[in-house]
Amino acid sequence: MKSGYKKTKLSNGLTIIGESNPSNVSTAIGFFVKTGARDETPNESGVSHFLEHMMFKGTTRRSALDINFALGSLGAQANAFTSEENTVYYAAVIPERFVEMQELLSDMLRPALDPHEFNTEKKVILEEIALYQDRPQFFLFENAFKDYFGEHPAGNSVLGSHESVSALTHEQMRDYFTRRYSPANVVLAATGNFSWDSFVADAERFCGSWRGETVSRTCSRYSRASKSRTFKKQNLNQAHAVLIAEGTSAQDSERYPMALLATMLGDSSGSRMYWELIDTGLAESAGVDSDERDGAGCFSAYVSTSPDRLEQVLEIAKGVLASPLEFTEQDLDRAKSKIIARIVLDGELPMGRLMALGLEWTYRKESTPLAVVIERIREVTRAEIEAALHRFTLSAWSEYLLLPG
Amino acid sequence: MAIHQRQLSNGMCVIVEEMDHVESASYDLVVPGGIICDEQSHVGASILLGELLGKGAGELDSRALSEAFDGAGIRHGEGVGMDRFTLSGSLVANKIDRALELLVSMVRRPHLPEEDIEPIQSILLQDFEALKDSPARRSMVELSKRFYPAPYNRASLGEPEGIRATNRAVIERMHANWFRPNCAILSIAGKIDALRVFAMVEELFGSWQGKTAELPVFGARPQPDYFHISEQSAQSQIVLAAPSVRFSDELYYEGKLVASILGASMFGRLFVEVREKRGLCYSVYARHSSSNNYGTMSAYVGTTPERAQESMDVLLGELSRLPGTVTQDELERSRTNLKASLVMGEESPASRAGSNASDWWLLKRVRGLAEIQAGIDAVSLDSIEEFLRRYPFAPCSVLTLGSTELNVLPRVVGKGV
Repeated sequence: MKSGYKKTKLSNGLTIIGESNPSNVSTAIGFFVKTGARDETPNESGVSHFLEHMMFKGTTRRSALDINFALGSLGAQANAFTSEENTVYYAAVIPERFVEMQELLSDMLRPALDPHEFNTEKKVILEEIALYQDRPQFFLFENAFKDYFGEHPAGNSVLGSHESVSALTHEQMRDYFTRRYSPANVVLAATGNFSWDSFVADAERFCGSWRGETVSRTCSRYSRASKSRTFKKQNLNQAHAVLIAEGTSAQDSERYPMALLATMLGDSSGSRMYWELIDTGLAESAGVDSDERDGAGCFSAYVSTSPDRLEQVLEIAKGVLASPLEFTEQDLDRAKSKIIARIVLDGELPMGRLMALGLEWTYRKESTPLAVVIERIREVTRAEIEAALHRFTLSAWSEYLLLPG
Repeated sequence: MAIHQRQLSNGMCVIVEEMDHVESASYDLVVPGGIICDEQSHVGASILLGELLGKGAGELDSRALSEAFDGAGIRHGEGVGMDRFTLSGSLVANKIDRALELLVSMVRRPHLPEEDIEPIQSILLQDFEALKDSPARRSMVELSKRFYPAPYNRASLGEPEGIRATNRAVIERMHANWFRPNCAILSIAGKIDALRVFAMVEELFGSWQGKTAELPVFGARPQPDYFHISEQSAQSQIVLAAPSVRFSDELYYEGKLVASILGASMFGRLFVEVREKRGLCYSVYARHSSSNNYGTMSAYVGTTPERAQESMDVLLGELSRLPGTVTQDELERSRTNLKASLVMGEESPASRAGSNASDWWLLKRVRGLAEIQAGIDAVSLDSIEEFLRRYPFAPCSVLTLGSTELNVLPRVVGKGV
C-alpha cells in the first residue's frame, strides 16, 4: 500500500520529502537544489551547470573514478541536470541498493572541487557549449530568452559562454557553492519502494553535518516589452522562430487554465497549431508552451520551417495565438484528458513521481496528491481560462527569428 | 506478473503481460516492412504510410481519429523502422478497449487519404534540410550508408527522390503487402485481464487475412574504409562501426557487456579515458545493436576540430587495448548494471510491451527475466576474450564530419596489412 506523502526537516534546515509505495520494483532518490543560472552574477555565468558536473568529480572520500565505478556497481540509473532555476541530482536503483545510493549521492553533494579536476572538466564544459552551438533550436531559445527577460535574471544562460566559462576560477565556484548549497536551500526526496523511517534516519547520518547560511532569491516580475530580433547562422538550412509573451509563474493560480490553453493551441498532436501547420505540411514543427518559472513565467510558441515559408507560417501561428478563445467544450475536455493521462503515466514510475514531487516542493512548498491535481484539472472551466487571459493577455509578443545568413 | 501468449488462426501472435502494480497499459503492434522493404524508386514510402495511418481509419476521418485518441487520453505513435512498422500506445488501463478498437481500424481499415500525401511529403522533405543542420545525426546516417549492404544502408528518413515519387498507389500496395496477420505481433502489458484482452483481440483481429512479403536478404558488407565529409560546424563528429554478434547467436550477452565495459555509461572506458581524464569531449559512447541478420558495435565522439585528432587516437587506442585487459571488476560492474536496468524495466508497461514484442520478433518466443539473467550471469572473462577474438573492433569503418580530415592508419580500416 502507498504510505502517502511525508515530510520532515533536519535541524540544519534540509527538507526531506517522500512518497513510499512498496509495490514498486525500484526506488528513486534526488537532491533538488534551488539554484541555477538566474542565481549567478554576470561574471560567474555558467557556474551552476559547471558545478553540477563537479559533483561527479570527487569528494574528500572518493575520487571521480570511485564515483563513476560506484554508480556502475550499484546498477544506478543516475544523472543530473541544471536549468535556469534548479539543479537536480537523481538516481533510480533496486530497493536493496537504496541505502548505498543515498550515501553515495549525499557524499557527492559535498564535493572536493579539486583544482586539477576543475581544469579538466572545464574543457568538457567548453565542448558541451560547442555541441549546442550546432543545435539551431537550442541556440535560438537561449538567445531569445536572454533578450526577452532583459535585465531580469530568469533569462540567464545555463551553459554560459565560451568566454565566461573559460574565465571562471576555482575560487568563484567554491564561493558559489557555499552561497547556494546551504542545506536550507536543498530538498532531499525519495519515491518508490523504501522505508520512510530509515530514509530519514540515514539522511541525518549522511547530511546532518551540512552547514550553511540562509539563502534567498530575488523574485520580482520582469518588465514586459515587445521586442524583435533576428539572429543569423551560416550554412543553416531551416528557419526557426519563437514568439514569447508574459505567462503564469509556477506559483500563479492561473497555471492550470494556461497549461490547458497551451495544450489546445499547440500540443504536438491534435492542437490548433498542429492542424494549421503540421497537418497542412507547412511547418516541420510547431508547438506552444506555458513555461512556468519561479515568480515569473512566459508563454511561448515555436516553429521551424523552410526559410521561404517562414513568413506564411508565422502569420498563421500569430493568427492562432491572436484568437486563444476559439475552442469548444469538447476541445477543452480533450486537452484535460491528455494532460491527466500524462500525469498518471508519468506518476506511476518512481522516477517520474520523484521529479513532480521534488519540483513542486521547490516551487510551492507543498505536495499535492495526484488525485487532487487530476480533480483540479478536471474542474477548469472556460470562464477560468477567460479570466486568466484578462491577466495574461497574450497581446504583447516578442519575436525572435533564426535565419540562414 | 504473468506472461500469456496465444496465436490466432491467421498466424498473428498475441502476448499479454498482466501487471498488478500499475494503473496504465501499453501496446505494441509490429508487422514486417519499413525502409529496407521500400521499392528502389520509392525509398521513404513506408514513412509516408506510417504517417498516413493516423489520417483517418474505419468510421473516423483524420480529425475524428485524432480526437478519439486525445479524448481517451491515449498517447500513441506509428513508427517506421528499417525492417518493421511499430504502432504503439500508452493509456490509463481502463481505456484498453477503446485503444484496441482504434488500433484495429488503423491497421485494417486506414483511409490513406490522397489529400494528406502532399503535406506529409512536404514535412518529410524538410527533415532532410533539418538533418543538414544536425551534424551528429548526419554523421550516423552517412556512416550507415557506407557500412551496411544495400538496402540495409538506407537512411531512416528515406530518400528525397523516393518520397517525392511516392503516390497513393504505391502506399496502398505497400499496405496490402505488409499489413498482414501471419507475422504480426500484438504485445500488451499493464493492469489488464489477459482472458478479456484475448477475447477482444480475437474478435477484432480474428478475421484479418493474408500473408506478408519476405524481408530482403542481408548481403555482403562493403569493404571498410575511412571517409571524411567536410563541413563547417562547431564540433567534429567521429563515428566508427565494426561487425559484431547477431541477436540469436551465442556470445550475444558478451557483446552487450563489452559495449558496456567500453562505454555504454559513465563508468565505461571511453567515458573515463576520453572525457574524464582528458576532457576531450562532452559526448562519447559505444553501442551494440543487433538483429537476426547482423550485429554492430559502434562508437561515437564529438569534439572541437583542434582536439579531434587526439580524440580519434585515444578512441582507437582504447578499442585496440581491449583484448586481454578486461578485469573481473569491470565485468562485474557492467553485469550488475545490465541486470539492474532489466529489473527496473520490469515496472514500466511500455517497456514490457516493447521488450516482449521484440523478443517474439527476433526469437519467436518471450524470454523470461530469469533466462536473461542467467545469460548475463554465464558471461566470464574467458567468454569475453572469445568474443573479442571473434569480433575484434578491427578492421572498422570510420567516418568524420567536420572542418578537418584526420589521420587514420590504413591498418585500422583493414588496408595495407
